[in-house]
Amino acid sequence: MRASPFDAPSQPAAAPSEKPQKVEWTPDVRDYVGRAFEPENTIAGISKEDTTKKLRDVISFFAERSQLESVDWSTYPLPQELLRDERAAAWAQAQSNPLFSSPNGPANSTFDTPQSKKRKSQDKTDLSESADMSVPPWRQTNLESRITYANANNQKRHKKNALSGDVTSKFDQADLEKRKQRFQLGKNGNSSTPPRNSPKPDTDADVDNAPCVGTNMSLEKSYFRLTAPPKPETVRPQHVLEKTLSMLRKKWKADKNYGYMCNQFKSLRQDLTVQHIKNDFTVKVYESHARIALEQGDMGEYNQCQTQLKALYSQNLAGNPDEFTGYRVLYFVYTCNKTDMNDLLAELTPADKMKPEIKHALDVRSSLAVGNYHKFFRLYTIAPNLGAYLMDMFIERERLHALANISRAYMSVGLRFLTDELQFGDDGECREFLESHGASQAIDKKIDEHGKPQFRVKVKEVASVFESLRQGAFAMVDIKGQK
Amino acid sequence: MSMEAALTGFQQAYYKHDALDLANCLKPTPVDRLYDFWRSTNEVRVEHNVKHAITYGLGGIERAEAQGWIDVFVHFWRASDKIIKADQAQNQGRLSERHAVEVYEAWKDLVQTFQKYIGNGTLPHWIIFTLYFVANDLRKFAIKADTQLAKAKPVTFSAGLSDDVVATTPKNQKLEEAARVFSRIFALCMSDRNPNLSESRKWAVYCIANLQFKTYFKLKTITLCKNLIKSIEAQADMPPWNLYPKAHRVTYMYYCGVIAFLQEDYNKAETALFNSWAYCYKGSTKNRELILTYLIPCRLITKSEIPSAQILQEFPHLQTLFGDLVSSIKRGDLAGFDKAFAEGEPEFVRRRVFLTLERSRDIALRNLLRKVFLAAGYEDLKEGQTEKDRMRRTRIPLAHFATALRMGSGGGQTVDDEEVECLLANMIYKGLMKGYISREHAMVVLNKKGAFPGTGV
Repeated sequence: MRASPFDAPSQPAAAPSEKPQKVEWTPDVRDYVGRAFEPENTIAGISKEDTTKKLRDVISFFAERSQLESVDWSTYPLPQELLRDERAAAWAQAQSNPLFSSPNGPANSTFDTPQSKKRKSQDKTDLSESADMSVPPWRQTNLESRITYANANNQKRHKKNALSGDVTSKFDQADLEKRKQRFQLGKNGNSSTPPRNSPKPDTDADVDNAPCVGTNMSLEKSYFRLTAPPKPETVRPQHVLEKTLSMLRKKWKADKNYGYMCNQFKSLRQDLTVQHIKNDFTVKVYESHARIALEQGDMGEYNQCQTQLKALYSQNLAGNPDEFTGYRVLYFVYTCNKTDMNDLLAELTPADKMKPEIKHALDVRSSLAVGNYHKFFRLYTIAPNLGAYLMDMFIERERLHALANISRAYMSVGLRFLTDELQFGDDGECREFLESHGASQAIDKKIDEHGKPQFRVKVKEVASVFESLRQGAFAMVDIKGQK
Repeated sequence: MSMEAALTGFQQAYYKHDALDLANCLKPTPVDRLYDFWRSTNEVRVEHNVKHAITYGLGGIERAEAQGWIDVFVHFWRASDKIIKADQAQNQGRLSERHAVEVYEAWKDLVQTFQKYIGNGTLPHWIIFTLYFVANDLRKFAIKADTQLAKAKPVTFSAGLSDDVVATTPKNQKLEEAARVFSRIFALCMSDRNPNLSESRKWAVYCIANLQFKTYFKLKTITLCKNLIKSIEAQADMPPWNLYPKAHRVTYMYYCGVIAFLQEDYNKAETALFNSWAYCYKGSTKNRELILTYLIPCRLITKSEIPSAQILQEFPHLQTLFGDLVSSIKRGDLAGFDKAFAEGEPEFVRRRVFLTLERSRDIALRNLLRKVFLAAGYEDLKEGQTEKDRMRRTRIPLAHFATALRMGSGGGQTVDDEEVECLLANMIYKGLMKGYISREHAMVVLNKKGAFPGTGV
């Protein structure tokens, strides 16, 4: 019954009457099951779901080994008792485990739930009772007990109550009353925490108690969408992730396998997220992924990273905010997103606008706004950092725009003029562009006095061709960029 | 204002069928007004007291409707309670987002109480106008709540199972929620099946729509504005447009105009804005100014027209905003334009006219080139021609244009020759200049019958 993060979420708690089909149940087993659910056998802090799951684990454990009959069910500890002991041992172990660091998630409202509160005080009491139990630390190897979220909650409670020395009996009525009161207090105390924006309180609690430090040492890891909090041995700690990042960067230089890269980067980002790592390294990761996406022309992934970076920069983490602000400007030029462009302009300070990457991007924007294709294409050649990759995304539509312009204003021009103005690699490339867009008939070839071919383009004749191409190119963007 | 006093106001407004006066009874500001009312009862007894006051204070209201009003005033009391607590906290310097949120939530309950009783027909149809005012207050409370929330928590980091570190949570949660409430009120208006139009809630359609526009603009969700307009246009069976209150119509047209403007549909924008301008009450200076803020840039694009000095004189704010820009355009002074444009940038960006005004540089350029054309003088008369046949020179060397561009005030433009050509090409492409460029002769050949359309030459 070993659950892994890649499995589908575990099945809902089986009702006592549901049992695996193939096995025969002796009266002893059935009796055991019955006792597990009797009210007088409930242990405070262990929910019915936990009990059911543990019961299922225990029974299937023996069933798989066909040892159901060799167990003395009348004396075998009930599932809830097993759970209680495991948790106590785990907590004892947790005391001495140096790996634990405090999570830095938002305020946890599951403190309010009676379950967790009771578990908290219950485990507190267990410290003194089971401190000398030598049970292997549940956290490291015993997966079965980790299947329930309840255990994860325990871990957090344990840390919070580390030094408390209260010794009270679990089943003491007065104690139950006290716990209840504590629950009330806790509830009122927490009501003044700022309202959180996260979706549900329970997912919050879960991730709060997600592995703060992973133990996965392998550099590579494929990306899978999370459906449940991940197990620590699948998550890589920061020092491993740092090595992963250098490895990936080298690999990208060597062979441009984008599919693999993207996958690896996504799992990198995920590991950072579940461990709540928000520091300069996080910025590095997102910047690297964004750059690779840009090189590849993957605007979707780039945009995701960009969104994250914007928020991270606002936390004053080290990175290259100027470079990426430049990209943001170019991205809005690409998507013709006037609304967001306006907002971005509102954010920029006069100092920002003088920074080279940002100034370049703003010049690109303004030259296109007035139709100055000449300036635009010059700026294309001197784009800093990876700006040229972004500009590549809309270079074709701007070429069509420029040609529409030129074909109305001139009767005919030399091919070389177009090659230069529109920054084609050479005349051949320019000619190819014209031909592939339906302007072949306008190209005239003459041989000059030196025997060299000279091309002229009678642009006036194809003015309407380019005009409709231009409209088509921008119409597509309007749909995308429209807010 | 004690319980009885509040209800006297209510009573009078009610019998006059005066929605505005009624709304004034439920105004949350100034806070001092609320103190007496608040003190007149407490949480335990509020329902009882209100019930008593309404049942015995107001004669002639049916029990069902009275219940509605009881509910309304109980919620109003609870909201007052929160407002006063927030006010006290503010005075003690310990205002937190919790206070603002509680005020918002309590007021929302009041709005929804109205919705409920209007929706099931308990309260008369004209109360919808009172609801408009109450809902407007909700909008303000939502904005306050969001401001406080933003202060408390500027960036949210992901909890849950997301892939990325930062959760993309909305910044204006409460206002978004309020927007949804307004949508439902709007639906309430539109869905009135009362065949007697004079008693229909449809009369509130435009004012509620305006409230929504205001909200969506703050939220920057222009798409939702578009949807709203579409749904109104699709509705048959509404009271005639020109019977709606002028105030509603002017505001509605204004918003339609701005929405079209933001989507660069300048022709449509101009029609709507001009309509709004024409009907706008001459005394609402601020509103007229707002309309012009968008109408002026609009006209620059659609008709290449600059506003007259007269208009700018009448509205000093606009003079400050557009004055320098407009005079540079008139003179064809590109350096002046660039300077004025850079100086005005923050304000232009704030009002979202920056990207539109940028394009008006073309008009400045056109005016400059026109000067060059005029300066080129006339062709020599040919044999047989008389003075009246005299024509302007139409073949202008590129160098002339280049010189003009480089000559301008403040050192002129640093443009290389190809860029000069590019700018000229743009003029022709956009129809501001008619002719063609000949590279071989380094000349522009302008159209004999109108080189610069719309300018008299």
